[in-house]
Amino acid sequence: MAEFFNGRFLSYDKKKDGALAVVVILLALFGVVAVYSASNYNAAADFGSPYYFAAKQALGVAIGLIAMFITAHIDYHRYFKLALPLIVVGLVFLALVFVPGLSVEVYGAKRWIDLKLFTVQPSEMAKFFLVVFIAAYFAEKPERARGFLSLLPVLAVGGATCLLIIIEPNMSVTVCVGAVTVVMIFAAGVKLKVLAAIGAPVVAAVPLLIIAEPYRLKRLSAFLDPWESPQGEGYQLLQSLYGLASGGLFGVGLFNSRQKFRFLPFSESDFILSVIGEEIGFFGTAILFAAMFFVIMRGFKAAFSARDYFGYLLAVGITSVYAVQVMINTLVVTGSIPPTGLPLPLVSAGNTSIIIFMAAFGVLINVSGGGSDDGLSLRKKPTLKTLD
Amino acid sequence: MIIAVTFIFLFMTGRLFVVQVVGGGALQEKAVDQWTRELPVKAERGLILDASGNVLAGNAESFAVFVRPRCVTDKEKVADALSRTFSIDEQALLKKLGDADRSEMTVARRVDKKTVEKLNELDLAGVYYSTDNSRVYPYDDLLWSVIGITASDGSGIYGLEKYYDKYLRGIDGEFLYEADLVGKDIDGKTPSYVAASDGLSIKLNIDLEIQLIAEAAVDNAYITYTPKSASVIVLDPSTGGIAALASAPRYSLNDPPKDDVEFFNKAIRSPVIVDAYEPGSTFKTVTAAANVQEYLSGNPAAFSPDHVFDSNRYRVVGGRQIKCWSTHANGKHANERLQEALNNSCNPCFVDIALALKKQTMYGYIENLGYGKVTGVDFPGEASGMLVPMSSVTDGDLARISFGQTIAVTPIQLACSTAAIINGGTYYAPYFAKEVVNSSGETVEVFPKRAVTRVISEEASKIMRGYLEQVVAVGSGNKAYIEGYRVGGKTGTAQKYENGVIASGKYVMSFIGFFPANEPKYLALCVVDEPVGGQYGSTVAAPVVKEVFEKIIKVKKIKKQ
Repeated sequence: MAEFFNGRFLSYDKKKDGALAVVVILLALFGVVAVYSASNYNAAADFGSPYYFAAKQALGVAIGLIAMFITAHIDYHRYFKLALPLIVVGLVFLALVFVPGLSVEVYGAKRWIDLKLFTVQPSEMAKFFLVVFIAAYFAEKPERARGFLSLLPVLAVGGATCLLIIIEPNMSVTVCVGAVTVVMIFAAGVKLKVLAAIGAPVVAAVPLLIIAEPYRLKRLSAFLDPWESPQGEGYQLLQSLYGLASGGLFGVGLFNSRQKFRFLPFSESDFILSVIGEEIGFFGTAILFAAMFFVIMRGFKAAFSARDYFGYLLAVGITSVYAVQVMINTLVVTGSIPPTGLPLPLVSAGNTSIIIFMAAFGVLINVSGGGSDDGLSLRKKPTLKTLD
Repeated sequence: MIIAVTFIFLFMTGRLFVVQVVGGGALQEKAVDQWTRELPVKAERGLILDASGNVLAGNAESFAVFVRPRCVTDKEKVADALSRTFSIDEQALLKKLGDADRSEMTVARRVDKKTVEKLNELDLAGVYYSTDNSRVYPYDDLLWSVIGITASDGSGIYGLEKYYDKYLRGIDGEFLYEADLVGKDIDGKTPSYVAASDGLSIKLNIDLEIQLIAEAAVDNAYITYTPKSASVIVLDPSTGGIAALASAPRYSLNDPPKDDVEFFNKAIRSPVIVDAYEPGSTFKTVTAAANVQEYLSGNPAAFSPDHVFDSNRYRVVGGRQIKCWSTHANGKHANERLQEALNNSCNPCFVDIALALKKQTMYGYIENLGYGKVTGVDFPGEASGMLVPMSSVTDGDLARISFGQTIAVTPIQLACSTAAIINGGTYYAPYFAKEVVNSSGETVEVFPKRAVTRVISEEASKIMRGYLEQVVAVGSGNKAYIEGYRVGGKTGTAQKYENGVIASGKYVMSFIGFFPANEPKYLALCVVDEPVGGQYGSTVAAPVVKEVFEKIIKVKKIKKQ
């Protein structure tokens, strides 16, 4: 792999990936429209204004745009030194979820902390802090990926992050974080034998996690046969499929979803893709898929053409956070894997998520541009070891 | 990694195509189903009419009042108003209104228009009204057990209401509107209205005038003899059309005695159609007709009209003695030909005929005349009676069957059999309904008379009419004789069996009569089950038929012959 990247790291004066930025922004704007369509009925009925969720989402996108603009212009190398503090902050925030008075409990899960002015979802940040940490750790000494013992710090930090998220509980984000960790270790060039040794216990843990919370078992059986309990565990999946099926090839038209009239739970967040599918049909949704696929491919392109090893791993990490979440969400909404609550990044309603993702894409764009400062950050660059 | 992502995206797109396009139809149907709520619009049930269009079963406009708890904004107000209007417990209602699991509940049915209008003025959110036609029977107990009744949802569950339900019920319409998950209607969506298509009316062969006459006659018998039941069926022997079917006791169709289920289930049965009894001597018409037809056909075993039967009271068949109901003392039942045998209703003569004709021939007539199977009358739950299978019938059985024992028949079987014998020899299936009429009064379907089989020849039938006319003129049926009119008939008295032994003092008295005997237009069978007092069909049942015929003559202004 080292040889593959050799030589490419020499081009310092690359242009940032503008197309990636445009598509990310379009997706976020489309998300505002989709959130409005999916939520206006519930919002008007429950919060007195059809724009309740849409306005929040628009605000999130606005802040996200600013964040993206800033991070796109901050030399990504600056995160190298911040890696350790960031992951510590991330873990502390994850732990704060369990502090009474700060924690916000929704549906029996503690996933948010209340900062009075707004609530944040620490796991959304922690994912990316973990990415930065892993990237920096391997970039500092690339040979760390070769040995087993040198992998342990990554496994420990990744494991701690997963642990704090799983006890919220939030299985889907845990799976997501675990998958990203594995992808990054793989990208760092770990030996397949070692990867298998790490992967085996992770795979073995899945049944245990399912048994630990009885609702997961129910969801699993509901996935296998949703018609068994159309009003119970199978309800959500069936409603999602109803929405998609009603869309057909061309959709019922933007804003014309019927499923959003309270039939589809979480229509503006985890299941927004079902409403989108209903409104713009198979063709429209396929275009959305294409846009998401484009973002992922450009992310990998940024990674493979990164100036250095840190940039490469950072880009792989950010891209895989997005890719894993997109794929899990889509597979859940289309009934291809057991239901689990994970929003569609950039599109689903959720302030923390949209801001952080857009900021992360800013970082990715910065990586694609080779990390030049554009005058916004300090000129001092850390010295990095490149692969040879 | 790129390959993996590409693969998963291709899978995602394929899966999306499968869900949205390939398997979309079935899912979409279910989705549409959950998006819409419907308010039923009741179709008006068809009427049941008599032969000349008199309404026997009609409808009154009424409403159902129901509540969707989730749409109720002011629970106290709604509970207060509804509990006062329909005198129901306010607290219980309030509790039900608070039950979020209930999407809809019916508060009251068959509410009249005035009450609904009053409630409507209160403008109660969450309270709805739908038309809920209720059945009304203008003649109250007329044709009890024939018309049957409807259930609370308006569907026919007994009698003709049940049998013709598919015509009568119509197709309910609906008022479809789009609603959210909890049933709140969505603003800006136009509801769709599917009009109800009203039920079709059924016009019967029942003649209201004759029905009233028959019921009055039956009631008289019921009062005089306090039997378990008394019934009369009047039909047109030339078609099988049932002109009247009356039985006593009767109950109000508008307010049927439904509280005691066991009692009700018994009371709603029509004894004429669903109860079999041992007919006794009225069945001798079958044996006589068989003999006449066989004689005309040249069967040497048959007896000529001039044959004089053995005057002995006894016959020994299969080692067992069979005797006549009469003692044959003092020259009674002596020197009888077939005419006198019928006049006197002398059992041994019919034993002689049956044994002479043998079981194959006898069973040919018995089965052709509809015994041992249902007549096919347009009525639910008809009984087929009991007939010993020919393969296992003994001479002793056959001998008793010849005079109406060891066989159980329904009154309607006997009436139709007799009709075939005297109408020129054709067996017609009996039927109540002759036409289906739409709401504008146009006939949309006609049920014609249904000739099932030819039983005896015109000539044999004519001879039988003559015999039976003589039975009324000079024989045991003379209690049905009407001066100036040609009435034919035959009496019947059967002992009842209880647990296999003859129950002393318990009889079924019957008389079957018809007139005018030369060209029969009316045939009436009266059956009185366990009368107290009278001992013979001639004294109990014949006068009932006479009363019916006399009144028919009066209302139909039939001239003396």
